[in-house]
Amino acid sequence: MTTPDDMVAAELARLSADFVARLPEQLQAVEDEVTAWLDAPDDPERFEILSHRLHQLKGSGSTFGCPGISRAARTLEQRLDTYRRGIDAGEPPAAADVESAVERLQNEVLRARGQSRLPEVNG
Amino acid sequence: MTGDDTLHRILYVEDDADIRKIVSMSLEMVGSYTVASCGSCAEALQVVDDFGPELLLLDVMMPDVDGPATLRELRKRTSAENAPAVFITAKVQAGDMAQYRRLGVYDVIVKPFDPMVLPERVGQIWQQYRSGAYDHAG
Repeated sequence: MTTPDDMVAAELARLSADFVARLPEQLQAVEDEVTAWLDAPDDPERFEILSHRLHQLKGSGSTFGCPGISRAARTLEQRLDTYRRGIDAGEPPAAADVESAVERLQNEVLRARGQSRLPEVNG
Repeated sequence: MTGDDTLHRILYVEDDADIRKIVSMSLEMVGSYTVASCGSCAEALQVVDDFGPELLLLDVMMPDVDGPATLRELRKRTSAENAPAVFITAKVQAGDMAQYRRLGVYDVIVKPFDPMVLPERVGQIWQQYRSGAYDHAG
């Protein structure tokens, strides 16, 4: 007999599979938005759009069984914030920290899809 | 209010469609609550008066109108002015909590959460609210 718990668990599994299937598209959007924002870091609207996407990835990743995606999204969020504060303070930092956080997210997307052999980053 | 201490109706606002779906399903099927599930503040304002929520469950970071602003709008409606509000957020810092308290937020559920145990957590918050245990969050 199927219980309500079973039905919710089955739907959670289905949504988790959908989430993983859509990750490359999400990653592409993040990459495009990061590039666009680095080209115009004084554009608050672009930053808001990017922040919101990363916030959703952070929340959804763990809910849908991909905690590495959540951690990588959080790291990128933090690096972007640091970069923005540097700009605001008149001391533009190097974009390398942001780019390495994007690479980490790329790797986590590959891992979630079973395509990465690189070690997991937990921090 | 139904005259008993049981929570029945939850107004839930979350912009992420997948999260909204699994949370609504869990609250309804596992928790046996009646849920009005909305993707935005505008949707919530359309249904709140007919629905008569006993508890408001609001995502904090939403585009256009965020959780705090949604709560302020809902509080203008008689149908939601007294319902306890619970925020769902991935980010809670000391300053955030103080701001939420000033808004009258009763409790906060931190993301990520397990959708399967969320109904129990909501039930606990409701019981605390009904027993008058106000000083618990943060």
